[in-house]
Amino acid sequence: MEIVQLSLLGGLLALDGTSVGQFMFSRPLVAGGLVGWLLGDPASGVAVGAVLELYLLVSFPTGGSRFPEGATATVVAVAASAVTDATGALPLAVAVGLVWGQLAGASVTYMRRLNSRLAPEPGRGHPGPRGIWVPHLRAVLVDFLRGTVVTFLGVLVGRAIVSGMHGPWALSPSDSVGLLLVGGAASVGILLRDVGGFRRRKTLFAAGLALGILGVRFL
Amino acid sequence: MTADLSRGAVVSAFLRSFLIQGSWNYHTMLGSGFAFSMLPGLRQLYGSEPAALDASLQRHLEHFNAHPYLAGVALGAALKLEAEGADAETVRRFKLAVRGPLGSLGDALVWAAWLPGVSVLALALYWMGLPGWWAAVLFLGIYNVGHIALRLWGFRVGLTEGRTVGRKLEQANLTGWTERLKAGLALLLGLLVGAVLAGDGGLVASGALWTAAAIAAFLAGLLVGHHAWRPAAATVVAVIGILAAYGMLG
Repeated sequence: MEIVQLSLLGGLLALDGTSVGQFMFSRPLVAGGLVGWLLGDPASGVAVGAVLELYLLVSFPTGGSRFPEGATATVVAVAASAVTDATGALPLAVAVGLVWGQLAGASVTYMRRLNSRLAPEPGRGHPGPRGIWVPHLRAVLVDFLRGTVVTFLGVLVGRAIVSGMHGPWALSPSDSVGLLLVGGAASVGILLRDVGGFRRRKTLFAAGLALGILGVRFL
Repeated sequence: MTADLSRGAVVSAFLRSFLIQGSWNYHTMLGSGFAFSMLPGLRQLYGSEPAALDASLQRHLEHFNAHPYLAGVALGAALKLEAEGADAETVRRFKLAVRGPLGSLGDALVWAAWLPGVSVLALALYWMGLPGWWAAVLFLGIYNVGHIALRLWGFRVGLTEGRTVGRKLEQANLTGWTERLKAGLALLLGLLVGAVLAGDGGLVASGALWTAAAIAAFLAGLLVGHHAWRPAAATVVAVIGILAAYGMLG
């Protein structure tokens, strides 16, 4: 029953990603909290979501570009990490989530190709109002089903991997977090480049850095 | 309110614009979503003339693309043009003229500045010790105030300005807003790095090795941009896989 709930949540979050609203419930930080809440541990869900959010800071559904699907990645990662309390569960779950996010992104591309065939063709026939809204809402339904199925498979695979491979883990919990943050650091560098680069933004970046360190100390 | 269009039709078109990407495809992109959003207005304007309704649906099915939050500008303006009885070629030319700017302005403002800015703020506060669910709620709240405001503003401006909406967009100086948001994002990125370095369970607590590796990844991102993302993520995934395999074999 739990996997059905997770899959349906994955389908709904996938809709939020591009097709419906884009209110950003599908961002890993939020999706992680929702999945964690569903599994009875929102804090752990947000912890996994925060790591994935760091990675996917530079991933946005821009135009027709192919992007990792953060919502599906997060549902799969949080569900997989909840399998066990072992130290290796978090990094393994995040790794599975990152890979599954890529596969889910590819499924978005295939769905868009399918939409090209199903959408009414301009200049052909007489679609009438029904010929407009039926294919449109059908495409929304297809996206929901896609997200649900991709999440279902991801949760199955992710849980199997984490439960099968979490045995002795060579790293301590803090080392595991350190390893995960390395990949996230690349996203931060990319984003700083996107907003003008270090040379141009060094004063603001340094001021933020100082505030961040002070904030940790005093808050 | 534009003449001949009821409040109900206008509100319905605006609400439908939240689904404008529902049938996004590589052929007409937002085309069928645009026609879907126009439908309540077109039905009202041409409901008693099937041939005219069909022709108007056909022209709005054509290829169109824009940032989804700013597509409402074109949607509102197209509704106004249709209500004013503009000819098909004028409507077509108008949509052709605005689709590029509405895409690039929206991408720069929302995807490249607003969304990462609010994300980075929420992450920084989370790493500083804000409870996770608070960080998530804060993110959703702040992000969607800007999101909904932009959608409402765009649709309203389109509906009131019609074909002269370009002037209003220029006055709004969205490029200037983007630049200010990017400056703020640089500050927030510093805040996030500071919090991740010094926070409980952060990089400094993880040790010099991981701090050095993270600095190298950060510099790679800074130097080569988006090309660094996949190799960095793939390396972390590969290391995790190797460690897991080593644990299983050991």
